[in-house]
Amino acid sequence: MNASDPDQRVGIIQIRNIHKTFEHGRVVALDDVSLDIFPREVVVIIGPSGSGKSTLLRCINHLETPDSGSIVVDGVPLTDAANINTVRMEVGMVFQQFNLFPHLTVEDNIILAQRVVRKRSRTEAASIARDLLNKVGIPEKADAYPGQISGGQQQRVAIARALAMQPKIMLFDEPTSALDPEMIKEVLDVMRDLAQDGMTMLVVSHEMGFARNAASRIIFMDEGQVIEDTTPDRLFTAPQEQRTRDFLSKILH
Amino acid sequence: MERGLSPLIGHRLLVEQRQNWRFILLASGIVLLLVAYLLPMFPNRITDARTEFSGGTIVEMAFPALIYDQFYIQSKLPRDESLDNVTIQVAPARLGGSGYGWLAQALSAPKLVPVLSFVVCMLVPLAAAAASLALLLLAWSSKFGLVEGLVGIAFSLALVAPFALALSWLHQFDFSGLLLHLEPTYLAPSIGFWIALLATTLILVAMTALHQESEQPMVTWWALVFAVGFVAWLLVKTKPQPYLEIWRFISDGILVTLRIVVVSFVLILLVSLVGGLGRVSKSPVIYGIASLYVELIRGIPLMVQLLFIWFAMPQLFDSIGFFLMNVSPSLNTIGQKLVDLRLSPFTAAVTGLTICYGAYVSEIFRAGISSIHRGQMEAARSLGMSYLQAMRYVILPQAIRVILPPVGNEFVALLKDSSLVSVLAVSDLTRRGREYMARTFLSFETWIMVALCYLVLTLFSSRAVELLESKTRFER
Repeated sequence: MNASDPDQRVGIIQIRNIHKTFEHGRVVALDDVSLDIFPREVVVIIGPSGSGKSTLLRCINHLETPDSGSIVVDGVPLTDAANINTVRMEVGMVFQQFNLFPHLTVEDNIILAQRVVRKRSRTEAASIARDLLNKVGIPEKADAYPGQISGGQQQRVAIARALAMQPKIMLFDEPTSALDPEMIKEVLDVMRDLAQDGMTMLVVSHEMGFARNAASRIIFMDEGQVIEDTTPDRLFTAPQEQRTRDFLSKILH
Repeated sequence: MERGLSPLIGHRLLVEQRQNWRFILLASGIVLLLVAYLLPMFPNRITDARTEFSGGTIVEMAFPALIYDQFYIQSKLPRDESLDNVTIQVAPARLGGSGYGWLAQALSAPKLVPVLSFVVCMLVPLAAAAASLALLLLAWSSKFGLVEGLVGIAFSLALVAPFALALSWLHQFDFSGLLLHLEPTYLAPSIGFWIALLATTLILVAMTALHQESEQPMVTWWALVFAVGFVAWLLVKTKPQPYLEIWRFISDGILVTLRIVVVSFVLILLVSLVGGLGRVSKSPVIYGIASLYVELIRGIPLMVQLLFIWFAMPQLFDSIGFFLMNVSPSLNTIGQKLVDLRLSPFTAAVTGLTICYGAYVSEIFRAGISSIHRGQMEAARSLGMSYLQAMRYVILPQAIRVILPPVGNEFVALLKDSSLVSVLAVSDLTRRGREYMARTFLSFETWIMVALCYLVLTLFSSRAVELLESKTRFER
């Protein structure tokens, strides 16, 4: 699949000309970015810090609001306040700091949004929770509190919590950056399985192994702009831009 | 070189440590005390008392076990009479006047209530000895060692024991210096008393040394409550006129104070929840209103606010009511209602306290909500929850644990500030104190009792807050 071929498909995420600045224009986070994400794609975004990758991700589920431009997710434009909650039900997010709810057990963490937002009954939500805990590999931790489990387990619970809403798109904001090295693999395995199941995934990460093996598309960003947007093979073997080459030489060691 | 004990609290002691001087001293004190109670302590007792008043009233009482109620009779003189003469009969105490003998006699008295405080005072040194003995046996056994909880209990009892013993002696003549003067030689304590006093001192010294090893704070909450309660009891006991009267007069003020504080506190929590949410709101209008409220109210003293509500508000309502009635006839009923509106003192007090404290506690709620990591709100919103849903299920349950300790402190402050509502003609504790003082001009006695009442209330509240804090602390 070549991302630069003229595409007849309709992007499930359509980003058009978004600008985003912080501190009254002094810091430019996103500089006229336009992008399409297609269903079942696994896209990894790489780039130096401050390049706008996380900001881009957070604009998609409206945790950040772009100053100008438009974003359409699954046919719904992100302009109306009324639309935003419906969009967020279809877009799941996994954070670098896990952000599990510490006052609830693992199972209750996964059940809460199902009951409150999707209005499922407790039994239905609980059974979905148990299936997902099985899927991420930690069914025995259902009654533990987040403070009692390891970082890798917490992140897997966070993934399960997002999946419980049965979203169409999953966003990952540096999911393994806060983990000890020995726990990174267990989380990447879950993400790999998810990719194989056909989930549309947008991942901001530094894990080049994952990018090479599981991603269908890789985007390099720098200073708020998309520099390269191609397949992992092509990016790692023959990067087109100098800035890409500089970045890759710094991180591949 | 003497081996320290602190590393071994709770562990088995080595042989050298068992011979530590503290333990030897403790053992000596215990044995000495148990023996002292066998010796004559109070050799004589007052069997009858006859009080004659100048107007001809005569009160005669016989005492099967221990003298009681004399001081009260003496101090509660009939209005137009004065104390004319008091005579007492003295006889040797039964069972040799020993400590155990007195206990047996007091416990077999026909009416236990009058002699209850005497029994307690006599038992306290024995309890101290028993606790110390238990501590000693456990420390010397090969299984246990120094038990920290027991050290605390034994130390508290040992601290009180010498005073309890002295108080036992005061019971012998019902705390009345007058009666003591009538028969000083007969009523003087005997050798058993002095040896018991020595013994309690030894136990106290030993327990102090042991207590220091256990690194527990000197003044525990219990000691404070006991001290305050004891002072109050002593005042009422030694000078029933006026202290007992004062107590009877002001005690219904306590219920009024509690009612005001509890009702206000519940309303304050509701107001502060709204205020706190307003202060973290992103909407400039809501934030502006909440900030205006907080800044305005925090800038005016509570006393002034209360006076305003009580005196100024009725006039304000009058003006508004008349204005409405003049403006249009359809607003007549509302206008009339406003003019006729009269706040009861209780309502005015609760309103004033709620509005004032609501501003301060709103800031506490704001700080608590803000202290919750941004990521929690982001995670909740990204799952599709609305702002209010995220607040209710994710943020506020976590914020409560942060908010509770300072809010508990505010409750204690509210308890004390409630005394200000006395200017509003509310019959709370302070007002009752003022009323009594206005009648009798006994300022010192009245205010000591009022202060002690507040102290007991705040001590119990602080303790409850402490317990609540420890229950809701996060296990991370």
